[in-house]
Amino acid sequence: MTWTDEELVARSIGGDSDSFNELVLRWERPIYALAYRTIGREEDARDVCQETFLRAFRALPGFRGQAKFSSWLYRIALNLCRDWVRRERRTPVVQPPEDVDLMELAAAAEPSESIEDLVARKDLARVVERAMALLPEEQRTAIVLKEYHGLTFQEIAELVGCPLSTVKTRLYQGLTVLRRELAKNNKATL
Amino acid sequence: MTTSLCGYPGDRDEALVTYLYDDGGADAGERALFDAHVESCARCRDDLDALRGVRTQLARWSPPEPKFGMAAPQSAIRSPQSVWWRAVPAWAQVAAALLFVGISAGIANLDVRYDQSGLSVRTGWRSPARDARPGGQGSLNVVQGPAGVAQGSPMTRGSAVAPGTASSASAPWRADLVALERQLRTEFRSTQTSAAASAQPQPARTIGDAEVIRRVRALLDESEKRQQSELALRVAEVMREVNAQRQADLVKIDRTLGTVQNNLGVEVLKNRQQLNQMNLLYRASQRQ
Repeated sequence: MTWTDEELVARSIGGDSDSFNELVLRWERPIYALAYRTIGREEDARDVCQETFLRAFRALPGFRGQAKFSSWLYRIALNLCRDWVRRERRTPVVQPPEDVDLMELAAAAEPSESIEDLVARKDLARVVERAMALLPEEQRTAIVLKEYHGLTFQEIAELVGCPLSTVKTRLYQGLTVLRRELAKNNKATL
Repeated sequence: MTTSLCGYPGDRDEALVTYLYDDGGADAGERALFDAHVESCARCRDDLDALRGVRTQLARWSPPEPKFGMAAPQSAIRSPQSVWWRAVPAWAQVAAALLFVGISAGIANLDVRYDQSGLSVRTGWRSPARDARPGGQGSLNVVQGPAGVAQGSPMTRGSAVAPGTASSASAPWRADLVALERQLRTEFRSTQTSAAASAQPQPARTIGDAEVIRRVRALLDESEKRQQSELALRVAEVMREVNAQRQADLVKIDRTLGTVQNNLGVEVLKNRQQLNQMNLLYRASQRQ
């Protein structure tokens, strides 16, 4: 039987640690992905993810279910990312991966994907990372939440605490910057 | 390079993003309006195509595989055995505390008496067998004389306990406490069972808790009312006993006074007779 997030939360509050573990297993990857795409550092993203769940666990008895559990979790993670950016006093940078290791890539390749295709895919991911790193934090957060986490405009507005129209404007501006940067790269590779 | 102008009447950027993602938040009429506009606006059409291309490229960016096996910190989560009482609802803990206090009061054996020795309030950990024994241990007594002044001195412990004294076993609130105890035990058992089985959906448990809370409150209210009426009865009984004893004392005093007065009268008469006899003797001796 699959429990809903809210049911698992209620059981966790009742002292059932397995239920909280289930919530962690369910949400650790999305939260890690959010942190990584926001701050761009694997190690720090893991720390943020860990800290997000620790804070959530401590604050669980105060969770009243007014918002979805995932939204509540996202808010904690985003606040931690924001704290991280302020603490580091620098624009988050998505670190480009180390020099491509062909042997490693070959091991990770899909059966139908050639090494050339894989390298091209990795390269494109790196280009996207670099382009995303150029965006201001607000635009990047809006794009990450919309593009990779599928939140509605309204959910993003509530999460980041701004009007709906502002979310749309940030999305448009961010996508426009990305369009320009990606076009540059496309021209360079031609 | 040619740039065409866009004549969309509203906020074009917002409309473009809303159209691009179509997450259901847009008004159908608004969307139809922009749809019609895109058909006729080359600039918007180009922008939409380009932004769709950006989205396609964005989809290829995935974060590196996380290297963690995160789970609830076991140090932060107490084991179910150590927190079994946390599964017991707060109302049940309060009710258990009340039950404990009630049982303690019962064992403490509160006894209020008014007899020839005066008003006595006593409590103590004692059994009926010990009660009958004069000078039994652990009994606290406060004795008042008929004048109502607390004497505060230990009294003869056995003398204040009459066969008719209400014992803890026969106290009327005891039945309530026993019923409450049974109720709580049942609730504890069901709570622990449900926690162990982890099979009961949460909403159903919430409804159950509310119902149980309501029932326990009703039970407590009823018990409280009974205790209050019982207390009133006991007070009235004590007052009646006090009055009866006072009347008896007054009658006794009256009788005693009457007896004293009678005795005094008899003595006076005797004295008078003796005086008369002495006078007669005195007069007779003078005549001679």
